[in-house]
Amino acid sequence: MKVYGFLKDVLGANRVTSARRKLIESGSPENIYKDHIKEVANELHPKVTHVVVTKAEDVSPTARRFTFEACEGDKLPPFQAGQYCSLDLRIGETITTRPYSISSAPFEARTGEHPLFQLTVRNGKPDTGFASNWLYANVKEGDTFTAHLPFGEFYYEPLRDAKNVVALAGGSGITPFYSMAKEIEHGTLDMNLTILYGSVSTKDIILEKQLKAIQSDKVKFVNVISGEEDYEGEKGFLSRDLIKKYSNGDTTYFVCGPLPMYHFVKGELDALNVPARRIRMEVFGAPRDVTAAEGYPKDFEPKKFRLTVLRGIQEDVIEADSTEPIMVALERAGIKNNSRCRSGACGFCRTELLEGDVFVAPEGDGRRRADKQFGYIHACSTWPLSDCTIRIPIL
Amino acid sequence: MAFYKDNYDVIVIGGALAGMSCAMRLASEGKSVLVLERHNLPGGVATSFVRGGIEMEATLHEMMSLGPIEDPLYIRKYLDEMKVAIDWLRVPEAYDLYSPKDNIDIELHAGRRDDGTWVCADEIDAQYPGTKAEVNRLLELCLKVYESTLYLNEHTLSKLQMLLKHEELVKTAGYSAKEVLDQAFDLPENVKKILSAYWIYVGQPLSTLPFTIYAFLMADYMKGGSFVARGFSHEMALAMQKRAEEMGVQYEYCQNVEKILVKDGHVYGVRTSRGDEIHARYVASAPYPNTVYGTMIEPQSEVPAQARKYANAMPMSVTTFSVVMLLDRKPEDLNIHSYSVFSSEVPFDTDVFWAEGRKHDGWSYVTTICLNYANPGCTPEGMTSLSITNLPLPEAFDDVNADNYYEMKRSIAKQMIEQVSAHLGVNLLDHIVEIEIESPMTVARYTGMYRGGIYGYQHSMDNSVVGRLEDIEKEQYIKGLVGCASHQLVGDGMACNINNGRIASKIILEEMAKEAAV
Repeated sequence: MKVYGFLKDVLGANRVTSARRKLIESGSPENIYKDHIKEVANELHPKVTHVVVTKAEDVSPTARRFTFEACEGDKLPPFQAGQYCSLDLRIGETITTRPYSISSAPFEARTGEHPLFQLTVRNGKPDTGFASNWLYANVKEGDTFTAHLPFGEFYYEPLRDAKNVVALAGGSGITPFYSMAKEIEHGTLDMNLTILYGSVSTKDIILEKQLKAIQSDKVKFVNVISGEEDYEGEKGFLSRDLIKKYSNGDTTYFVCGPLPMYHFVKGELDALNVPARRIRMEVFGAPRDVTAAEGYPKDFEPKKFRLTVLRGIQEDVIEADSTEPIMVALERAGIKNNSRCRSGACGFCRTELLEGDVFVAPEGDGRRRADKQFGYIHACSTWPLSDCTIRIPIL
Repeated sequence: MAFYKDNYDVIVIGGALAGMSCAMRLASEGKSVLVLERHNLPGGVATSFVRGGIEMEATLHEMMSLGPIEDPLYIRKYLDEMKVAIDWLRVPEAYDLYSPKDNIDIELHAGRRDDGTWVCADEIDAQYPGTKAEVNRLLELCLKVYESTLYLNEHTLSKLQMLLKHEELVKTAGYSAKEVLDQAFDLPENVKKILSAYWIYVGQPLSTLPFTIYAFLMADYMKGGSFVARGFSHEMALAMQKRAEEMGVQYEYCQNVEKILVKDGHVYGVRTSRGDEIHARYVASAPYPNTVYGTMIEPQSEVPAQARKYANAMPMSVTTFSVVMLLDRKPEDLNIHSYSVFSSEVPFDTDVFWAEGRKHDGWSYVTTICLNYANPGCTPEGMTSLSITNLPLPEAFDDVNADNYYEMKRSIAKQMIEQVSAHLGVNLLDHIVEIEIESPMTVARYTGMYRGGIYGYQHSMDNSVVGRLEDIEKEQYIKGLVGCASHQLVGDGMACNINNGRIASKIILEEMAKEAAV
């Protein structure tokens, strides 16, 4: 075997070794560390963003919009219209997080003298919307929060979506579409958006004035009212006929609203033979009444269980209620665990289940195959059916 | 109340394949080991994600060095020894190379017969008659070099023994793959091109890629084939994590190590972002030496000038840009018929591809992977899981900032999709159900790796594995601190990283024994 000749061939190892030594000797002895890619990655996805409320204003009789700016030393990351922000909250003894679609436009977070983003929060019924009600009632100018943004996949993707988009919104589900509409108006998002906004009564409409103000040949805004007979405009639900009426050729449908609306709208879109790839659904939160969820054990009496929580070599035992997700049991006990979407999808609350029976909400189960196989759960959408032992990260 | 023990024998920074491999070996020797992983998933980039309820491989991932069960290669043997059980599926073909400007369109398969002939030699001969003997001779040479490299992974030999017993390795060690292919073999240009398609798996053009590495890659893939895990790369990573934990390793998610604590030239622990100071006299580090010496060693006065020279001189290898898609038709309906296609828009030339990787204004060479052909259950019926990947250099993204990032990502992705669509005669843009675009920033976000690097340092002629091996001991600049990722001896790839981890554990165990003896 030869390449060039015996001598040259056998001395090859020496040659490459000395070439390498020479290379290392050419290196600077100074600390010249710099990592542009990591800097950009950190700016795109800061671990946390400390923010301060600079304005709190009513945008309907039942909804309030909060404007946030970054605290000194922090900077708001860019986001894509439709993405959400997760706020860390401490309400009484409970530590928790809540995701809110960002209702302001992306350009507002990156330009101007006061870069900002806005969250619009609705005051729900007393027994629902625990965190939203608290925010609505308590947050004022000057309050500071730890925020995590941007998250979520509910944004217009030009490589995938049709240029014509019909938004099907209900309740506070209007907020991501206001962000999109404003970004379109600004000229930095190229799509045609028709928003069909379903409400029971005109009193429930959020951001109406603001949405009407930015209508154009690219942004159309239509209220659909189900509970007022004398309403002069579109009445009823977001039905197939209505959807068809406002669709124009190849259309992508973005759906954001409460869970019952999803089921209804999905049925209507299916009836119109809309292909799956033309339907984008925002995550919809964990079911409030898990016992009504498909597959939940019949006649399972509500119960309190022992939940053993392992973090590193530490072990804590807390109480868990069968009617609440495991995530909520942790939060009530003041034990921090990461969570973002709170719908089972994103996997931030990925948790190892070592022992015990649980129920996993089938809708929106975003677990990986191997996680199911090896007993991992997403704590925000998993309910205890027995005493359980879990392992969570040290936070 | 404490989350950690007072002291560990070894702290492993980074719970990816190298870190877990290192941890398992150390645990099997009775050492107490803590793995600190910054993400909430194991495996680093060897992972998967879920969109709309459907799981997708994070990028192109296949495991080499396994070989079939009946004829296991060294990684299968190691995983078996560590009792890691993974549901492997064999990838059907080695690769397709489609380079229309060269009139190349060929599919090769792995396999070597006992008489020293290779399946792919026959396949090449069918299109380029009369080349069979030379291709077989080349692959037999590769195999010899491969076997010698594996032997030296476990043993040390004198130079004379080396020459006597590992002649092929010794005699080719000083040459690039291009030199050996050109000088020692009589093959038509197109056949050399066909046999160069794997260059992308080491990210080095043939003119500067040491033949040693080329031979290793060719022999390993062409003999043993490659595999994917049925439960995606996440199954592989999670199976390793669970096994490590069974062996007594403490593995913690969401722990970012900020500092490596050093006193009098010896490591004594780490500090995390949470503020925990955890003690160990040995640390295995996935962060690149650049990050370690540049920002992590505390105090900085403990970083020797020679260590800085080393980190600053090491030539950074490639990062990744991947477009991962779920499509709304089955593969055949999209005219996709193979698992792995390498394609080139220009006459095949790895120097040209390499130069293109310094910028992001068009890449001629892309790798298209259709996972369905290796793992038919990976999508619901009637869908296709497809990724298109290029491996550019980190400097290609010097002009990218947070404000032009999304636009840049989409414009590159669009170009790559259109390129592949043109080959297929099917516009893939009309079929996308889900799409994720991964850039070096994505790698940096999830793994923290320096400059989004996935392949460590270049396998170049002036940073050859032979030179690395020769100097491995004197490049342990701080006592107790050992590198444990693709920037180490054997470089990039999932199998190589399992090996890098094994090598790190070996260095640590030897150091421990030495220190105990003093």
